[in-house]
Amino acid sequence: MRKLATPSLLVAAIALALAAASTIRDVPAATIVVPPDPSTMDAVTLVSNACSKCHGPSGNGVSISPLFPILAGQLPVYLETELKLFRQRGRSDPRARGFMWGIARGLTDEQIRGVALYFSKQPPVPGRPSSNPALADKGKLLYENGAKERDVEACIVCHGANGEGVNTNPRIAGQHRDYFVREMVQFRGRLRENKVMQDVTQKLTDDEIAALDEYVSTK
Amino acid sequence: MPPELTPFGRRFKLNGYTLTTRPALVNDIDDYKRNTVWLTDLPGVAILAQIGYDHYDRAPPDTGNPYPAHAQSDTYQFPDQFSLVYAGAISDRVGGWLQLTYNGQAGSVGIDNIDLRYSDHTVNNSWLWGITANNYLTFQDVWNGFGSYALPNFNTVTLWSGGVAGAGLSGPIINALGPGTVGGIGAYAFYNDSLYFEFSEYHSALAGGASPTTDSASLAANGGAVDRFAPYARIAYERDWGYHSAEIGASALYVNWIPSVGYISAQQALAATAAGNTYTPAQTFYPGATNRYTDLSVDWQYQYNGDHDIYGFMGHVTHEQQQNSPLLVAATFTGASSPIYTNPTDNLTQLLVTAEYFRDRRFGGLVSFTRTTGTSDPLANGGNGSPANQFEVFELDYVPWLNFRFILQYNAYQVVANNQSPFYLSHATFPNSPAFPNVKASDNNTWVLGLWMDF
Repeated sequence: MRKLATPSLLVAAIALALAAASTIRDVPAATIVVPPDPSTMDAVTLVSNACSKCHGPSGNGVSISPLFPILAGQLPVYLETELKLFRQRGRSDPRARGFMWGIARGLTDEQIRGVALYFSKQPPVPGRPSSNPALADKGKLLYENGAKERDVEACIVCHGANGEGVNTNPRIAGQHRDYFVREMVQFRGRLRENKVMQDVTQKLTDDEIAALDEYVSTK
Repeated sequence: MPPELTPFGRRFKLNGYTLTTRPALVNDIDDYKRNTVWLTDLPGVAILAQIGYDHYDRAPPDTGNPYPAHAQSDTYQFPDQFSLVYAGAISDRVGGWLQLTYNGQAGSVGIDNIDLRYSDHTVNNSWLWGITANNYLTFQDVWNGFGSYALPNFNTVTLWSGGVAGAGLSGPIINALGPGTVGGIGAYAFYNDSLYFEFSEYHSALAGGASPTTDSASLAANGGAVDRFAPYARIAYERDWGYHSAEIGASALYVNWIPSVGYISAQQALAATAAGNTYTPAQTFYPGATNRYTDLSVDWQYQYNGDHDIYGFMGHVTHEQQQNSPLLVAATFTGASSPIYTNPTDNLTQLLVTAEYFRDRRFGGLVSFTRTTGTSDPLANGGNGSPANQFEVFELDYVPWLNFRFILQYNAYQVVANNQSPFYLSHATFPNSPAFPNVKASDNNTWVLGLWMDF
């Protein structure tokens, strides 16, 4: 298999040599922009060519399958942080490994900023009335007050009154319900890195996660 | 694996296999800032290996020939198939699937499936369009309801594949126009992530034969050749919601087919008679004889790609009308050798339905049911002339890693070419061989142990 790569490397070397030869002419190499090179794609092109395949086909950041999170209206700082984590393989939950490591690997800082800004400007998905108000109320109580006796911090402190996110802490309102639950379970199982979330979720039962999910989905 | 395409896989393929955010290894331009070379930094070469072990419910007997082959059960195909595959971007908008395969039964390496694509799309992806050049009708399709990658897709070649069952089972021509037989080019469009249109046309591209000649050797090897061009149209509608993806589609294919038949010309017959010999008809084409096939298919698919579990139901019905050349039909036959068909027109209908389930993307299985019926044509099919077959495939899979699949399969046959002896191709010679009485379709039943690896 290695041997098969050799011809293309050879072609590459020749092409590089040709490229070097062509730069002898007075074409300022630094200012040349070749649009099809992914490393020079702008945010819109990146979203159109890559992100939209999983995170909403029209580029609105609203994914169809709950396997993938909704990015519409997400905080740009959070998206930027996560994309950089994917790029340096600092986030190793299974889906990050399976999908985002490869995607983020070649992105530049500028592209990451652009994509983060793009998705943050998409209108977020509005909440829906709960079909189980009792469960939602239980979730609301936990969301707003935490559980002091077990040293569980209230979600509202970091994620805002309506789950809209604060600073580097993400928007959780309008997220796919299955995605929300899965991430909580992954924090609890220490599959996804984040010290605060790992500690908080340790103390939560499945029922409490379901209650939080029910409440957040109304936001 | 499981190897049918998910909604994501379909879009990757329709986008010309080019989804990448990686910088090109080399990206050179000319004075007009046009791309002159673009090389991906990922070679993307994969090895695909299939190993199979077959056990027959009833061991195939030796044939009745003077020097019988010693047929046996418990055979091992190592490898059944071994392929080198490049699947990925070739340029920024061009990509492909190029497969070179060593086939254990043929004992040779040959060109296998090839699909080269150019694609582009609007910024909001409401329109995606492309061009595909491929050598396998239905290989370019992104739904797995029918054609080359329809489930079940692990098929070892059974002992009697050269005879009656296996490759010898009747089926519509749409499944038979593969590598070494045809080459085609098509244009497609995918609107709003849901509505798919394609129009392709295929030509004869016989392996091992000089083009455009259709010489008798390559005709015989491939069973015939496409005459002029074969148009193919496809329409499909997909709807995705949550973890679900559903599709319904239809296709139409028209083929003028030059069949490879046992032919002897009047001059050859005269010369043979004059010399006091009998002349064995050569497998070649009969001058001017082409059959016309019209295949109409409806296919459907439902997939659930959950966080842990996957299941799906898929299937197709293909109805084929085969208009036989009057030159080959008994009533109008004027040649020196024997006519090939009893009827001026033959019909064939095939139904294939499959259900599969995978738990935790690790343990799974499938059940598939195939039923083929058609008009009785004793000259074409032998025996009572029915092309019918009916069988089920039961499969258990274990996928310890995503690229390793262990397979245990049981193939159960109820009807095999009108229940002729599964072991004798020339049933007329052995209508009910005393050596093997009570031969029935279920004698074909086969256990298969398989291993499929991609790396």
